[in-house]
Formats: sequence, C-alpha cells, structure tokens
Amino acid sequence: MGWDMSVDLSPLLNNWRFLLGGVETTLLLSLLSIALGTVVGVGVGIARCYAARPVAAILAFYVDSMRAIPLLVILVWTFFALPLLTPYSMTPFAAGVLGIGLHLAAFVSEVVRAGLLSIRPGQMQAALAMGMSRAQAIRLILLPQALIRMIPAFGSLVVITIKDSAIASVIAVPELMRQSQIIVGKTYRPLEVFSFVLIVYFLLCWPVARGIDRIYRRLAPLGAT
Amino acid sequence: MRFDWSVITDNWPLLLYGAGNTILLAVCTMALALPGGLLLAALRMTPWAPVRGFATAFVEFFRTTPVILQVYWVFYVLPVMTDIRLSAFGTGLAALTLNVSAFNSETFRAGLNSIRPGQRNAGLSLGMSGWQVLRLVVLPQAVPRVLPALASTWVSLFKDTSLVSVIAIEELSYVGLQLRAQSFRVLEVLTAMAVLYWIMGYPQAKLVDWIHRRIKVAE
Repeated sequence: MGWDMSVDLSPLLNNWRFLLGGVETTLLLSLLSIALGTVVGVGVGIARCYAARPVAAILAFYVDSMRAIPLLVILVWTFFALPLLTPYSMTPFAAGVLGIGLHLAAFVSEVVRAGLLSIRPGQMQAALAMGMSRAQAIRLILLPQALIRMIPAFGSLVVITIKDSAIASVIAVPELMRQSQIIVGKTYRPLEVFSFVLIVYFLLCWPVARGIDRIYRRLAPLGAT
Repeated sequence: MRFDWSVITDNWPLLLYGAGNTILLAVCTMALALPGGLLLAALRMTPWAPVRGFATAFVEFFRTTPVILQVYWVFYVLPVMTDIRLSAFGTGLAALTLNVSAFNSETFRAGLNSIRPGQRNAGLSLGMSGWQVLRLVVLPQAVPRVLPALASTWVSLFKDTSLVSVIAIEELSYVGLQLRAQSFRVLEVLTAMAVLYWIMGYPQAKLVDWIHRRIKVAE
C-alpha cells in the first residue's frame, strides 16, 4: 500500500498559527460577505415587493440568475473576468467578499420578500388608514414583524455562508480551506489536516445553527399577528 | 479590450461534454441519495440509541461542514482509511451522495413528523397493520410535503457538482477552467461557462418556485 497509516499530528502542531490565521480570514470573509449580502438583499427584497414593475422584474432576473449559477463560477468570474472589463484589479479577498456577498444577497432578498408577504395585508391597510405613508408603514409596522419571522431562514444563510466561504479557496483567498491545502501540500498528511479542519468547520457552524434556533424560540411569539 | 469568441465556437463540443457530465453526476447523486436519505431517516427513528446517535451525528456533521472540504476528504482520506479505491467520478459521486443523503434524511424526517399522530392512531384503531398505516395513510400525505424541499435540494446539488472540479472530474467547471488556462481567453470562456450554467439552472429555479406554489401544505 505504501501509505503510513499511523496518525501524525505534527503538521497541525507545527502550523497551528498558520491555521488560526485561516480561521480568522474565514470569519472575516464570512462577516463582510454577510454584511454586504444583508444590505443589498434587504434593499432588493423590499424593492421587489413595492417598487415599480420594471424595476421589480430586473431584480427578479438578478435573484433567479444568482440562484441558478454555482458560487464557484461566480467567484471565478468575479476574480478573473470582471477586472478585464474594468480598469481596476482586485485582491482575492475583495473578489471573495464581492462574489459571496452578491450571491448571498439574492437569497437574503428571497427571505425578506417571503417575510414581508407573510404579513397580512390588513396590517398595511390599517397603517395607511392611520395616516402613515407607505415608507413609514413598511419601516414601523411591517418590517419589525417580518424581521422576527426571517430569523430562522437568515440563520441558515449565515451557516451556509461560513461553509461557502471555503469555495473562495479556489481563487486563493487565504482562508481555512486554502491554508489547510497548503499544509497538506507541504507535509502530505491529508488524513490529519483535512479531518481536523472538518472538525473546526463543524465547531464554527454547529453552534451558530443551534444558537439561532434558541434565539428564535424566545422571540417567535413577537412575530405572531 | 478585444474579445475573441471563436474559442467558444471552436470548443463547443468540449463544453457540452462537460455540461453532460454535470447532469449525469447530479442525476446519479440524487438516485443514490434518495434511498440514502431514507436509510438515515429510518436509522434516526430506531429504538436503539447508539444507532440513532450515530445517524444524528452523521447528518449534523455533513450538514454543517463545507461540501468542497468533504470532496477533498473523500478524495484523500477514504483510500487511506478504508483501502477503497474509486475512480475520480466515483469519488465525486460518493462525496456528493454522503452530503445530499444527510440533507434528504432531514427532509424525510420532517415530512413524516409533520403528519399528526392522530392519523396513525386512527389507522391502527381501524385494524390496519403498522406497514399499512405507513403505506396507505402516512406516506400519501407526507410525499407532497416533501417534494418542494427535495426540489430545492436538487437545485443546490446541481450547483454543488461544480465543486468536484477540484479533484479533476471533467464536468462543466473543470472543462471551463482548463479551457481558460489553455486558451488565455479568460473572459470569453468564463462567461460562456456561467451562461451554460444559467441555461441549465434558471429553468430549474423557476420550476422549484412553481412546485412550492403548487404544493401548499393543507391540513
């Protein structure tokens, strides 16, 4: 067989600082992507519900296209092809945030739209009857109720984003997946390194998934109408 | 910037070959992951706690780690640990099947649990056997509820097949990235690749929306 079956943890012990840097980049990449995705996604979601029809149609096309194209393809296109159309070049990290963020925004917008549409129309009518403007009604009456209903779906998107940030390794963003590949390349201990990194991702994602369930259970009554 | 699209027209059969493999991989994965998901869901409902615990851990683990890392793990670690040697296609198929089975099992479990216990009790009190209750009462109600979630998983799977390009399976992403490296026509090749995915994926996304609208949960 020619393979050494014994477990050797020295690749991990010797490179723990390198891997920790990867964890930090993974978290920063996820955080910035979530921030971008949330800002754009909330705007797109609200606009698809209330904007003029041509605007809503263009945004629907954007959302459905993002849902149809793999993130890997979007990241590769953003990093390698987009700079050819513009006078600017991008670092892998910036391309990662842009690609993951705009991909995520489509999914956030669907969550926002579903949340807003789930609020009974009587709420909007009542707010308008009280003399509020549409913008006031959305901001003060609809969004606060819809936001609570969005928590579980948004939480899944946070977990998905942390997992998906590993795809940025393909454009050489120095996040955890990429760093572990480099260590495997140097030490040739894939068993120890990849198994360890799987556990690290599990430890990053699982508490988020369970934590959001817990927050939602506490807040759920506030979202009932 | 000048563009030369002849690289696409010249290599059209290659890109279609890649797209064909993408579809083949997605279909084979789902064909294996449907029974795989049922098996995991069944294991999570057995009375034996160790079996339940194992199945739960398996599902949670595969749902909360990156698919791309699972692909690497199966590619590098499985042969070392188990002496199983798979072809590249087999390796990608195995990794995606493990992942999608975990997601499917949650779908099946949620579908079965969504049927109120009174339905089962009523069936039993009418003298049906446990198997008859499952086949005639529970499943006919659970299957329509499971379909929309399965359709969403299918679309995710179709996109996730792009991740096995990292272990050199000749599906659309791998073929596209290779062609980019050989031809240096970066923008043309990557755009054509994205458009091909769009042509295949857009109708699927629309179909999923339609299924979700069509099959609303009715008590």
